[in-house]
Amino acid sequence: MNSVPAPGVSALASDTLRRRSDLRRLLILAIAALMLITIGPVLLPTYLVNNLIRAFLYASVALTVDVLWGYTGILTFGQSAFFGIGAYAAGLIFTHAGFSPAHAALALAAGIAVSALAAVLVGWLAFYHGASPLYASVVTLVLPIVVAQILYSGGNFTGSSSGLSGFDSFDVSLEAWFRIAGAYLVLLTAAAWLFVRSDAGRVLVAIRENEPRCEYLGLNVSRIKILLLTACAVIAAIAGYAFASVQMVVAPEYAGFVFGTELVIWVALGGRGTLIGPVIGTLLIDVSTAYLSGNLPFVWKLIVGLAFVVVIVALPQGLAPLVMRMFRRGPKLHADKMALQPASEEPLAGLASAGRHAIALAGVRKHFGSLQVLEGIDFQADHGELLSLVGPNGAGKTTLMRCIGDGAERSAGTIQVNDADIERKPPYECVALGVGRKFQNANTFETLTVAESLRIARTRLRKPSMWTRAASLELPDAALRVIQATGLDQKATVQVRHLPHGQKQALELAMVLALEPSVLLLDEPTAGLTKAERTLIGQILVELTSQHRLCILLVEHDLDFVREISSRVIVLHQGRIVLDGTVAEVVESELVRTIYAGGAGMGAAQR
Amino acid sequence: MNAAALDVSQLRSGYGEAVIVRDVALSIRPGEIFVLLGKNGMGKTTLLKTVMGFLPRMDGRVSLFGDDVSGLAPHRIARKAIAYTPQEQALFQDLSVRDNLRLALADERWFARGLERVSAYFPFIAERLKQRAGTLSGGEQKMLLVARALISRPRLMLVDEITEGLQPSVIDRLAAVFKTERDGSGTAMLLVEQHVQFALAVADRYAVLKLGEIVDQGAVKEPDAESRIAGHLAV
Amino acid sequence: MAQVFDVITTAAILYAVAAGLLIVFGVMKIINFAHGGFLTVGGYSALLVTELGLNPWWSAGFAFAIGFVCGMIIERLVVRPLYARPLDAILATWGLGIILGQLITLGFGREVQFVRSPLSGAIDLLGASYSQYRLILVLAAVAVALALGLLLNATRLGLQTRAVIMNESLARGLGINSGLVRFLTFSLGSALASLAGALITPLSSVDPNMGVPWLVNAFMLVLVSGVSQLSLGVACLVLGGAQVLVSTYANPVLGGLTIVVLAAVLLRLRPQGFARE
Repeated sequence: MNSVPAPGVSALASDTLRRRSDLRRLLILAIAALMLITIGPVLLPTYLVNNLIRAFLYASVALTVDVLWGYTGILTFGQSAFFGIGAYAAGLIFTHAGFSPAHAALALAAGIAVSALAAVLVGWLAFYHGASPLYASVVTLVLPIVVAQILYSGGNFTGSSSGLSGFDSFDVSLEAWFRIAGAYLVLLTAAAWLFVRSDAGRVLVAIRENEPRCEYLGLNVSRIKILLLTACAVIAAIAGYAFASVQMVVAPEYAGFVFGTELVIWVALGGRGTLIGPVIGTLLIDVSTAYLSGNLPFVWKLIVGLAFVVVIVALPQGLAPLVMRMFRRGPKLHADKMALQPASEEPLAGLASAGRHAIALAGVRKHFGSLQVLEGIDFQADHGELLSLVGPNGAGKTTLMRCIGDGAERSAGTIQVNDADIERKPPYECVALGVGRKFQNANTFETLTVAESLRIARTRLRKPSMWTRAASLELPDAALRVIQATGLDQKATVQVRHLPHGQKQALELAMVLALEPSVLLLDEPTAGLTKAERTLIGQILVELTSQHRLCILLVEHDLDFVREISSRVIVLHQGRIVLDGTVAEVVESELVRTIYAGGAGMGAAQR
Repeated sequence: MNAAALDVSQLRSGYGEAVIVRDVALSIRPGEIFVLLGKNGMGKTTLLKTVMGFLPRMDGRVSLFGDDVSGLAPHRIARKAIAYTPQEQALFQDLSVRDNLRLALADERWFARGLERVSAYFPFIAERLKQRAGTLSGGEQKMLLVARALISRPRLMLVDEITEGLQPSVIDRLAAVFKTERDGSGTAMLLVEQHVQFALAVADRYAVLKLGEIVDQGAVKEPDAESRIAGHLAV
Repeated sequence: MAQVFDVITTAAILYAVAAGLLIVFGVMKIINFAHGGFLTVGGYSALLVTELGLNPWWSAGFAFAIGFVCGMIIERLVVRPLYARPLDAILATWGLGIILGQLITLGFGREVQFVRSPLSGAIDLLGASYSQYRLILVLAAVAVALALGLLLNATRLGLQTRAVIMNESLARGLGINSGLVRFLTFSLGSALASLAGALITPLSSVDPNMGVPWLVNAFMLVLVSGVSQLSLGVACLVLGGAQVLVSTYANPVLGGLTIVVLAAVLLRLRPQGFARE
């Protein structure tokens, strides 16, 4: 498994140039915005200045909602709660303890600490392994309700429904606040833009697109989501703190879920997943509300509500993409090319050796309620073996694969990978033990490019940058071989959804190989492939075992394919191993013929 | 009426961009039992689902008794007296035997007569009407499936691997039921199977599906049919 | 003893409010966030009945009819296109709730108003003096439960609906028009919400946002019940009872949080909630 010389793929200079021009554009826009903000208060009427301060802070929070929802797929109604916590940290301390630089610092620290703690708690509740997206959204809805109710019930301490007002605050002019709030928004937007375009930001999109695939690439998705939520909570809390300091009024509504849903509405209307859309959308709608709701109090809200429903039903991407289409020239956002290079390999990173056996199963059983799906599974497989699992439908083949990839899946028995017991470990930890699983259908990230997908696959071994995109990507030989043999290296910048099915299958295989697994689990890798594609995949799999010493476990229905490439075949029937031997032994077996001829005519042994 | 019970031409379908069924053409006459053989993963179930409207076609046409049904929703196709028995999750496990049967009928008034007919084939049904379908044995569940398909007097039945996991005695019984229905009511049937002996015993004509394509077709009573089939399905 | 009545009547009210949401969730697998809006529609239907000087006992039927019609329109226009996007369906129905609230405000004004109660005064029962109307609500909730149960279990449409709940694809393959089932279910769910709104307004008042607090409690109860009417009844008793106890012995505001917090924690520990499997 040592590095071989570079196969001649080279970095592309034009790619670096484009990155620089993007950054330059960002810098210019940011500076322009900051300049506007500096002169704004001088030119604009005071009423507008006042409203914009509030709108800037709201837009900062809307930004966090967009990162959570638009990019990561977490529909959250709870960012208002963190805003409220930051606001009340200021309100409570300034009201009950007075104002001074020390108090100000204390209030800020308190707001940040409490919101971070709340975020961790919410994250623990909502993002556990196997939680449904609906449940996660429900928890984010419960949070602001709880916070608001706690504030309502706080009596004189929190001011109850009237909130707190009239407390001392920073001795800073309105114009200065305008500049501060505006700068906060601009800097936040710039940072968010850099973040979502970075390699780390692409991980968020990967999670939104296909969370199970991420888990099976070794990513601890729960932890990533909790960290993200905590960061967004702190950002919202700071905005709330500033808000309270400017307005010198806090009320429970600011922490409640009506505000939380308004944020979602603004993001949806502006354009989820675009960053700039939610910012502009929030600014426009909030300021318009200030002006119009005096004249048309309920009609305005009705209009916004109608626009929201129409957008969700008919224009789910929001209004920003429509606007952008009018201005943009055409090239896709993800047009960066990425250089692919061989990596210095770290197979089994952390493990001492390749282990006595690649995989060892003892007494493995699985039942769903009273239905016994796997019974008494015992076998071992070594590196260099290409083991095919065959059997009629319902024999338990896919269930067996799942048990090897996910420690929580089996009902009883032990499974060891490279001599390490997988116990009850979740998929991302099994990946760390050396397991790579390729799913049955081409299970990929539809809107990411080929290069980005491969980058995500390397995340476990190479921490991605939070600000930039790496110009080159190192891949282990096995993955490189697959990429080059199937022509994917010519399509590095193509979005995965535009790939033909065969190449998607190949890409998924390459992604799994990029993990540098020592055990490869393949579930029907040839499904939907043409004859030529099957032959190619077959050759690659044989190479992987002979040259790269992987242990491959393969579930297949195409018995010709099995016969051509396997070194060993295990036949499963009704959850038990009925035969374990070479291809020749299995093909000639009378037993197997009976099983495949249909009918369970194996004597009286019935379920 | 001479229109084919089922006529499929140049059918292409699959999941997402994966093509599973490639350019399949076949034709089933009214009152004939046609068996589609093939090993797992060859596209048999995909073909049935496409005919029944669950999967969109990528190309080709499907017509039933002369009507082009390409693109119709499954429930409309079912209402044309087509009975579909899927391979998996084919029964409502928590509903009673009686309710499972009722759901197959468009009009409840036919229930009594229909029940009489199917109970003649499978007497246990009349005795277990109130039992939850999920508590029946595997063989009984399959028989219930056949009963459900027959109770609505379909013109065409699409049956996906009914013999899987069944004892020989039950398989023989089903074969007899199918043949009696064909002879007595003129019901056409498309049976998807891997059980070659059963197929030969029951069907009039056959086709073999391999990697989504038809590689062999013919009449079952042709002298070399069995050996040809065995050749295609060899392990 | 009055406390026992409190628990029972609270459970009954919660059941009446949540029943419509339950069937929509079961059949369509979405949480209808417009449910709160329909509750408000029901409340204002009752107000209309009061203003028109009609017998207040008419409000229930009146509200039911209006809710049904609104539900039909909304299902067709908004919910149907979002069949494949459940999270977006939540958002769209929330937007609808806002629209309903605003339309009502435009029509009736935003002040809190009062509805004439069909039955007032207290009755002596088992040693406690208790509001008659609240006790009637228990009967109403039981009637709703029975009617719904009969509809689902004793009619052909109910059987088809249960089939769609269990396995929509199989149902379609047997000839059941699942689109129609969804349409009718949503309309019925909206009608039930509206009915519940009319039933609860005599207890307090109507205002354009009255539905919102009920919405959150209702959907937490539904999530915790799976798709079973029986589970919903159990959930209403257990969680509703907890709410009453916390409100009485601790703090009424915290009491309002009980259902929501307990349900969230319960779901975390046991994702099926009170349901059997």
